[in-house]
Amino acid sequence: MSSTTATAAPPALMTLAPDNWKLAILVGLAVSVIAAITFPASVSFWIVGAMAALVAAAFVVNAFRRKYYGGLLVAPAIAVLFVMNIFPLLWSLGLSFFAYQSNNQSIRFVGLNNYIKALTNDLAAEANWNALVNTAMFVVFTVAAQMVVGFLLALLFAKQFPLRKYLLILVLTPMMLSVVASGVFFTYYYDPTFGILSYIMGNITGEQFILMDNKLGAVAGIVFADAWMWSPFVMLLVLAGLVSVPKYLYEAAAIDRVSGWRQFWTITFPYIRGLLMLALLFRTIEAFKLADLVILLTKGGNDTMTISYHLIRIANEQNKTSEGAAISYLMLFMVIVLTNLYLYLANRRSHGA
Amino acid sequence: MTVMTKMKGFATAAGFAATLMVGGASIASAEDVVLTMAVPDWPPTRIMKKFFDEQYKPASGNKVTLDVDFIPWPDFYTRVNASLTSGEKKYNFIVSDSQWLGAFVEGGYFRKINDLLEADPAFMETFKSIHPNPLNAYSTYPHKSENYYGFPQFPDVLVNFARKDIICHDEEQKNFQAKYNKKLPCTGEELDAMTWDDFKNVGEFFQRKKGDMLAGAPAEDDFYGIAYQAGKGYDFSSMQINGFIWQMGGNTWDETQIPNGQAEGVVNSPEAVAALEKYLSLIQYMPPVAKTGTMDIFKSDELFREGKVAMNINWIGLGEASLDPNSSKVSDKLVFGQMPGTMGADGKMIRWSNIGGQPFVLTTWTTDAQIKEAVEFVKWWLSSEIQHQFAAGGGQSAVKSVYEDPKYVTYRPWNRAWAPQLDWQKDVWHVPQFFELLTQQQDQFDLAITGKQDAKTTLDNVAKFQQNLLTEAGLIQ
Amino acid sequence: MSSSASFMERLGFRKASGVGEAGWGRTLFVAVIAFIYFIPVLFIIFTAIKPQNLALSVPPTLSPTSFFGLIPDQYVFSPTLENFGSVFSRSMTTGGAPEDTGFDRYFFNSIFISSVSVGLALIIGTLAAFGFSRYPLKGNDTYLFIILTTRMLPAIVVIIPIILMFRTVGLSGSYIGIILLYTAFNLAFTIWMMKSFFDELSLDVEDAARIDGSSEVKVFFKICLPQVVAGLAATFVFGLILTWNEFLFALLLSGADTRTVPVAMNQAVSSGGRGTDWTLLAAIETLFLIPVFLVTFFLQNHLLRGVTFGTVKR
Repeated sequence: MSSTTATAAPPALMTLAPDNWKLAILVGLAVSVIAAITFPASVSFWIVGAMAALVAAAFVVNAFRRKYYGGLLVAPAIAVLFVMNIFPLLWSLGLSFFAYQSNNQSIRFVGLNNYIKALTNDLAAEANWNALVNTAMFVVFTVAAQMVVGFLLALLFAKQFPLRKYLLILVLTPMMLSVVASGVFFTYYYDPTFGILSYIMGNITGEQFILMDNKLGAVAGIVFADAWMWSPFVMLLVLAGLVSVPKYLYEAAAIDRVSGWRQFWTITFPYIRGLLMLALLFRTIEAFKLADLVILLTKGGNDTMTISYHLIRIANEQNKTSEGAAISYLMLFMVIVLTNLYLYLANRRSHGA
Repeated sequence: MTVMTKMKGFATAAGFAATLMVGGASIASAEDVVLTMAVPDWPPTRIMKKFFDEQYKPASGNKVTLDVDFIPWPDFYTRVNASLTSGEKKYNFIVSDSQWLGAFVEGGYFRKINDLLEADPAFMETFKSIHPNPLNAYSTYPHKSENYYGFPQFPDVLVNFARKDIICHDEEQKNFQAKYNKKLPCTGEELDAMTWDDFKNVGEFFQRKKGDMLAGAPAEDDFYGIAYQAGKGYDFSSMQINGFIWQMGGNTWDETQIPNGQAEGVVNSPEAVAALEKYLSLIQYMPPVAKTGTMDIFKSDELFREGKVAMNINWIGLGEASLDPNSSKVSDKLVFGQMPGTMGADGKMIRWSNIGGQPFVLTTWTTDAQIKEAVEFVKWWLSSEIQHQFAAGGGQSAVKSVYEDPKYVTYRPWNRAWAPQLDWQKDVWHVPQFFELLTQQQDQFDLAITGKQDAKTTLDNVAKFQQNLLTEAGLIQ
Repeated sequence: MSSSASFMERLGFRKASGVGEAGWGRTLFVAVIAFIYFIPVLFIIFTAIKPQNLALSVPPTLSPTSFFGLIPDQYVFSPTLENFGSVFSRSMTTGGAPEDTGFDRYFFNSIFISSVSVGLALIIGTLAAFGFSRYPLKGNDTYLFIILTTRMLPAIVVIIPIILMFRTVGLSGSYIGIILLYTAFNLAFTIWMMKSFFDELSLDVEDAARIDGSSEVKVFFKICLPQVVAGLAATFVFGLILTWNEFLFALLLSGADTRTVPVAMNQAVSSGGRGTDWTLLAAIETLFLIPVFLVTFFLQNHLLRGVTFGTVKR
């Protein structure tokens, strides 16, 4: 597929060569872990940083020597991600094995205790579990709603018609709003005294209408706001797929008198499957992180606490940094399993098709 | 070019750019002293900055700049907490909620000021002229000890905001008298004399549907008699419930009794349960948003300003907006009184209430040169003249000579309730576990407010949690 | 049908390859749905031009005009532009003179930081996506997955190490720091998105060009890139929207001088010692919507054109 061919055999694991990235990773990891344990944070930071640079340098040299264009092309992205994302992630992974409160400078190694506490402690585990169940519920509802609404909207816009451009931008606008503003305005829409919803419902039924005073209403309110904001995201991805279907395929199908349903599955769906998957993937990841709307609309009341908001409370408000890190890694584990399941299914489908 | 040189170049460029972009804020020569301050963005802090820029002349002859970072209220704690705990060492002064003291003193962020007070008798004298209740709440850690940390920035108490066009209306007065055989409170003095039972009567009496007669005209919308904070966020129910508990003979966990003060048996005592039941029983008379658990201090204030309730218990700090015709439909119809109390067995009114407001504190990394100027600035800030100006501009003062001055009550209509309420202020939990105690209690209170569990279960849960947590932390033995 | 088509062309509509046509009937139908979908936004925009004292009126005021008597008077308000002025200058103390609110600076910061970081992410990310697509590394999928995991954790978990790192390197409160962070923040999505576009391209054309002696660089710029313009546009728009509204990193890592609008917006959520200033918040949001709205609008043709080269594989 590519024109690159290795010009030299890769060095053996223990050879001291500038392009031996495997050794660099090993050394880097070992030194970083030792440094993190023995030195204070301000010193170990630089050591870990230097190790990261070492690994990166080994990668670049390796790529040059062997004409790995792939490696060279992805190097800048990996470097930025490493410094700004992966390194802090590893840092907090490390912290999750310590007893550390960020407002209290002492730090103590406790092994897996934070994880054990998160999973088995009477109070903590129950709160985590409860938040997790709620999060799962929100993930299912919001993502399902976004996929359905986004897909239907995309179908609406799949054909060319007058003024399409101007109508499309109207539908795209909700996702451009800042969550703070839209969330705060949704509190207004749902407000039982001032809000529009209660005003309309009150006029119809003649009785006072309070949406958010029970779990069903509170969840519905949050899901509606979230789905409203992010369905356009799904729509745009699906639409990009829909418009890329060559017209002659449909014309051929029309000649063969293929039913609309079959036409969709055999012609349209293969073109949007990849993008649909991408939309599903990213929306699921984002839905797991749902916190801001919950904070604005219910503060976690009516049993709407999500794992992400729970985490903000623990890691930020209560400064239990390492405990928060442990919970978030448990959460990360679950998201990874879930997304891998998605990707596995998607790949199986594509090989089968 | 290797990656190492790239990284080095990057670091140099970054450092250079950072210096360019951050500016010389932290670079201070002998004559130039910069005091960096993190404050919530609202009038009391804007006024302080304005007075400083316009009036402050440092005695030392140095050029002193107050570099104020105005942070919007909703994110204030998050921003300050992250700045402190990450070791950013950015701010010299921080406006802090009184309950944050323990968490940040123990972490080594807030500077003890006893040495500064002892070195400067004039400073000590000014400091001691602050009413002991706010002083204890804002400045001492451990609570009520002799270790001092902060100075009042905006001291605050709960007062009763009322609509005189409604409560003083003849027809309403007559009907109320007929129904309860008691006069419907109308003047400030009559409001002061209210008990929670009277408050409940007002709530029950003024429940009107849209179109019912209200003060001689059909109500344009549903109308409610009373409101107070009953929200899940931050401390938006605890601050009200604590008052009920103290007034009715119950208690919260007493941090001055460490390590002997217990939580279990105290927090969930029968008196405390009765007090919480009383608090909960009034919620049915409030606007419907209370049932959703989101009636925080801002929502009840908004409902009051929009003319949906007759009486609202709220912080003075939110009062200015109700006086401003741009933001208030009731700006010309207001009367203020003390928060209702509970009649004691001896016939005297018990008025315990949870103190609000914020102190500001010095951080430990502030340099000696900065501290010298900071002390001068605080002395100036607490001076009678500036405190008077502050009060006249919408602030409050806890300095005795200022609030006892006859002029003081003329600044704002609620000031008549200020001095007498100060004597009845208490505070809770300056311990580092404050946030854990608070969030658990708020969650439990929310369950009670939204009708999911009764008062007894609620306080039992709270007591159990506090007992465990505080025992683990070594604060209960 | 033909007349509507020519009308469309006069309006400047281009036909995308795989797009069927529908007439004004579809327009009407979609217009109704799009309008309903847009109502919550429209309400915010109308709140921005409402007089402050009508923000919470019951019944709610819904429209600045009665549309020739269509809307009953009680729902109509008379519009004002005052709120937009208050965004930039208003009294911050009781009875004080209007002061500069700093929002001109915040708007500049938002525009500068978002556009630079999204642009950077697009450049770096597209290169990486091309690499992942055309020169798969050993364990390609693993790399891609690790990149994806950077988006999975709530920001709050990594924020403390990042603040610490920024302070150590001297980046806190600077533009460079927050721009680099946002670049990283956008990379995962950019790489995944662009890779899926590169994957869809037919390799025949590329291989033909290689046989003709085109260099890899030329293949990339002359053949591949033009085919994924739609993808670039879509990625840019998504990246911009996410970065534009990012809140937590901006709150914790920006200084007073580099603060962005989403953070400063909370001035209006808790405004001057009271709750939400609805009209002010709406005015800020409306102004804040304009740049990203315009960018999306002008990139829309690209967004919708799709892959027009007819080289779609399968």
